[in-house]
Amino acid sequence: MIEFVSRISVVCFVASYAVALACEASRLIFRSGVRGAAMVAFAAAGLCAHTLFLVWRAANESSIPLSSAFDWYLLASWLLAGGYLWLTISNPRTPVGLFMLPVVLGLIGAAQVSSREPFPQSPATQIWGAIHGSFYLAACVAVAIGAIAGLMWLIQAGRLARKQAPLRGFRMPSLEKLAHIQSRTPSIAAWTSSAGFVSGIVLNAVYRQRELMETVPWTDPVVLRIAALVVWLVAAAMVSGVVSRRPDAARTNAWLSLVSFGVLTASIVWGLFGVTQHGAPPAPTAVHSEAAP
Amino acid sequence: MTLAFVGGTHRTVPLDLRERLAFSAEQATEALQRFRRLFPGREGVLLSTCNRVEFYTAGEKEAQPPPTKQLVSFLAECRGIDVGLLESVLVEECDEAVVRHLFSVASGLDSMVLGEPQIVAQVKQAWAIAQDSQTSGPLIGEMFQAALRTAKRVTSQTTIGRERLSIPSVAVADFARGVFERFDDKRVLIIGAGKMAAETLRYLRGAGARDIVVLNRTIGRAGQLAARLGARPGSFENLEAELTAADLVVSTTGASAPIVPLELFKKSERQRAGRPLVVLDLAVPRDFDPQIAGRPGVWLYSIDDLSAACAANRKSRQSELPAAFAIIEEETQRFMGDLLHRTTVPVIEQLRAGWNETGVAELDRLFRRLPHLDGVAQAEIRQAFERYAAKILHPPLVSLRSASHSGSPHGLLDALKRLFDLKE
Repeated sequence: MIEFVSRISVVCFVASYAVALACEASRLIFRSGVRGAAMVAFAAAGLCAHTLFLVWRAANESSIPLSSAFDWYLLASWLLAGGYLWLTISNPRTPVGLFMLPVVLGLIGAAQVSSREPFPQSPATQIWGAIHGSFYLAACVAVAIGAIAGLMWLIQAGRLARKQAPLRGFRMPSLEKLAHIQSRTPSIAAWTSSAGFVSGIVLNAVYRQRELMETVPWTDPVVLRIAALVVWLVAAAMVSGVVSRRPDAARTNAWLSLVSFGVLTASIVWGLFGVTQHGAPPAPTAVHSEAAP
Repeated sequence: MTLAFVGGTHRTVPLDLRERLAFSAEQATEALQRFRRLFPGREGVLLSTCNRVEFYTAGEKEAQPPPTKQLVSFLAECRGIDVGLLESVLVEECDEAVVRHLFSVASGLDSMVLGEPQIVAQVKQAWAIAQDSQTSGPLIGEMFQAALRTAKRVTSQTTIGRERLSIPSVAVADFARGVFERFDDKRVLIIGAGKMAAETLRYLRGAGARDIVVLNRTIGRAGQLAARLGARPGSFENLEAELTAADLVVSTTGASAPIVPLELFKKSERQRAGRPLVVLDLAVPRDFDPQIAGRPGVWLYSIDDLSAACAANRKSRQSELPAAFAIIEEETQRFMGDLLHRTTVPVIEQLRAGWNETGVAELDRLFRRLPHLDGVAQAEIRQAFERYAAKILHPPLVSLRSASHSGSPHGLLDALKRLFDLKE
């Protein structure tokens, strides 16, 4: 059993999610009585392999979730994959995988090109590092869910405005349900990303106070990109709050969610290929902490 | 002839005659009991719906189904109708055509509304009445089982019964449900008290709507409809306030000009606090100014919009017809193959028995001439004989089965009977 778990690789769950995505896409082409079961089976198999992979890393490679950029992205994709499986089982006629699985695969792709080196750790900064990483994780997931709901809202609203009956195998959730989701995600994303940023400042201060390692400068590209993301998410949440009682609030929220997702994607891409002090290896005498990518 | 059928549908029988010919469940039971007395040993099922009355019958050997003329007379006597009236409008079929027809009926392909699902339940009920009346035997039983299986295949493998065709059902299921997740917390406003309003309201009630207000210029009619459908009547003078409170409006008045012009709507819009509004304007001429459709948060559907969606659905159903008929044809051939194969069973049994009898006699003679053979050796020789007989018989039996499924085993059966001197 242990040998079996140790041989699980990223390819295993990527392949499972990719097959589930292909099954979702096939809804648009042909009907099948067994597709629903196949989709759930592949998604469940992928999630199972994904979970075992994370557990194996935590148990054998001291890489607890959030302890490296690689693990952070994998945990974010794991949360979304779990959400996809739950939604597919509870709403089998909704092609939610067409929207969620590309994000899941994108995050796994980001994990593949990001560093597997653990962030510097020490007991003194462990809690602040975990808080910092968790809040960014929550913000990232909230932005992704908001964008998926926003995109689905726009497609459904477009269909209703064109006065067309629903496409075969492509029945979207109601506008009311999607609007309900996307009205909450801007404020959740704003609060969690702000909390993540503040906890990052505290973490940096702890480093400086205890002289554990070189602190991340304010002009570091990671600080700048995260600050830009936080500013955008807070602004988006404020706009969302201002328009909430207007008849076009849902449409505004949908576009805001999509732009937020674009900003998040740009921020991730910048983080993947930019040079940074953030999460850098410790100075020779220093002991370091966990953090988000 | 093994299977026979007489019947009439909305296509062949005028409505007034169809009404006289229709059987209630009790009348169908009585008719089947009478059929059992008149035609003992025959099987029969009476399918009576608002669009069709059909009698299916089956029998084998000496209990062949009664001639279709007798069936027409039987139906006429049961309902007290002149036979002459029925003879000209009822259709008669036998054997394979009966199977094909029943499979099409059960799959909704012969219905007035193509692909309508209620017919499956009606076919099941008709068969259940026949079972209770003891007129359903093995032939009818297998045919109806196969019909229900075919209907299930058509439903699952085509979309013929999926898309909705009536304007109220499309309005509620395809459009209102696209906007609202639930209706039990929504205010529904019905303007006008026509038939379309009542039908739409029934769909909305089915979808969970509870808070329903009916407005009509004639308060009495609004009250009647409201009482009938569990809604409450409102005053037409409060139209603006009711529009403000409503989440979904169904309008079906006979007014000659829009009763909700853009200006009136704008007044109520300001007080709606951004809540979305679905308007199903089923009136001709329209009750809502078409410009209202451009207001944010408003989903306005006129009868033309909904008719277009219905027509698209109908077209989609029509496009599935070839696939559905291919399934019907495949299942009909399979059923007829199985049915014809049943007729070959006695011949096969006789053939096997004859070979077995000859083998046993030859073996007995052999064992008498070779008394030194022990039990083990005798068993081996018996097995060898049996295997030899089975191998020799295998090709002709396969040919017979194949001929049954292709529809004409009679030539082979006759040849086997003559070659091996088999009796009828």
